[in-house]
Amino acid sequence: MSGLTSIGPNISPSTRRKPSAASPGSKARRELILVWCFLFPSLAVFFLYRILPLIWNLVLSVQKFSIFGQSEWIGFAHYWALLDDEVFWMALKNTLLFIASAPCGIVIALMISLMVNTEIRGRNIYRTIVFLSYPLMTVAVGIIWRWMYDEKVGLFNFILRTIGLIDTPLAFLQSFELALPAVLLANLWQILGFYMIILLAGLQNIPQNLYEASAIDGASRTVQFFRITLPLLRPSLFLAFVVGIMTSFTSFDLVYVMTQGGPSHSTELLVTYIYKAAFELSRIDYAATLTVVQFVLLVTLTWLGNRLSGGEAGAGRN
Amino acid sequence: MSQNMQPPSVKSLLSNGAKKRTSSHALPTWLLHISLLLISFCLLLPFYWVLKTSFTGENIFIYPPSLIPQDPHPFFYIDTWYYIPFARYLFNSVVVSVLAIVANVVFNAMAAYALTKHFKGKSLVITLLLSCLMIPFQTTIVPAYLITGKIGLLNSYLGVALPTFSTIVCIFIYKASFDAIPTSLIEAARIDGLSELQVILKIMIPLSSSAVASNVILSFIWSWNNFLWPLIVIRDPLMQTLPLGLSRFLSYHENTTGALYAFCTMVLVPGIIIFLMAQKEFIRGLTSGATKG
Repeated sequence: MSGLTSIGPNISPSTRRKPSAASPGSKARRELILVWCFLFPSLAVFFLYRILPLIWNLVLSVQKFSIFGQSEWIGFAHYWALLDDEVFWMALKNTLLFIASAPCGIVIALMISLMVNTEIRGRNIYRTIVFLSYPLMTVAVGIIWRWMYDEKVGLFNFILRTIGLIDTPLAFLQSFELALPAVLLANLWQILGFYMIILLAGLQNIPQNLYEASAIDGASRTVQFFRITLPLLRPSLFLAFVVGIMTSFTSFDLVYVMTQGGPSHSTELLVTYIYKAAFELSRIDYAATLTVVQFVLLVTLTWLGNRLSGGEAGAGRN
Repeated sequence: MSQNMQPPSVKSLLSNGAKKRTSSHALPTWLLHISLLLISFCLLLPFYWVLKTSFTGENIFIYPPSLIPQDPHPFFYIDTWYYIPFARYLFNSVVVSVLAIVANVVFNAMAAYALTKHFKGKSLVITLLLSCLMIPFQTTIVPAYLITGKIGLLNSYLGVALPTFSTIVCIFIYKASFDAIPTSLIEAARIDGLSELQVILKIMIPLSSSAVASNVILSFIWSWNNFLWPLIVIRDPLMQTLPLGLSRFLSYHENTTGALYAFCTMVLVPGIIIFLMAQKEFIRGLTSGATKG
């Protein structure tokens, strides 16, 4: 009601203006100007930090870049160099392994979400606990897991030695074979909650009466799971997988903190290699080439995931 | 999130079936509880391990490591506070986050309001936004660095925050919320003489408070945790944000374990508290982003 006082004085000018603004053309034009003014800041940010970089990456990848002088066109030389670059193949392999690990996480998350989707008491607390690690600062998560994997006092070595699986402590993050699985496990710990949330939303969209009708028809729990839950959950499952793909292309923080891509590039991902090429080796143009390859791969895989899911699936993060 | 999709009336209609369902779990309730407790235990263990170390330090010459903290003390926290410019890092992080949050709320709401109108090129803008969603920030770092250098924003708060000034996911969250407001309400307000801006500020935004909350918490968490971009843009140690400070501390003082984990805890706690306070908004924002985006 208090708003009325401020509205009051406005009435007269707007009614007075009405005859002059009555022509539909000027009103529409005013609105059009308003629309584009309102869109401008966001579009400017996206142009500057999404679209322009995309194009610039392409340009850089066919150039010999120099900060001071004139950059010269060298064709596809960087791409040919890429084919001979062992580290690139290593990083590509690791990125694909990263993606391949996503289904394991999704299966675990599916089991958890089935458990917390029941009417069990305290389900919200369980959900919060599972989800808690997702919004954490990944740098800190990496440090936590370094500590868990520590050779002398890490929890993993302690547990494995207590059970009697190993005699001598393992240096997980310093080992060529174990470093990548170790990083994958840490990543799983962090992303599990996000998978769970996606699947939970999918589960809650399944109409309950399907279960009731099928129960009347005598369908067992197992039959219900494979005939109702899984098919109807397909979009959510693929969405989770797309998120997994995205994560494998973007988890720079975890690898950087835990292993720096080492030992001898055994945990190098494309994204960490791009960073190293550009900002440690100062090979801006080569890093751009890597980015182009990474981006093409990412788009192809996400597109495939989208097609398979048969639905609209997008990125989880910004 | 936790709400059942079933409207209550339907549920009561089918109360027979519903009862049957609860009594015929695939697993008995106690087994369910045990497995969930076990999972929770495994997931919480890393937190405990770090918290314990931050209060006791770790003597690496003693085996086995003790599971229960032995004479805990707060000195590592005090050490951390004095050894590193923690307050400065915190200040930097807060400035960057506040910049990002304010810009996000204003710009996203503006863009979403524009998208509720009908105009030529609207579908093009929407397509453009949706395709930009497919470009993760990590694939833009090299040119983004060059661009930021050209604008002269390297090593500045604005340079760190600028790429996060608008978020596509949040624009669509606002748009969904704005679209849900009945047009009759807006027209009534117009007839009462409210200007365009007043309509937005007095009607659209107050009725979309949950969208605003989602946007605030999402952009806070994202910019608070952001590591790669500040790592590229910031050179001056005094301009570093918390994640940068943490990573720097790790590389310089690898062996002072207690202090490192105290630092870690101090960095994690604000994020956890804010997340727990706004969990619902955060998850809502995330799921609508993940499904509608």
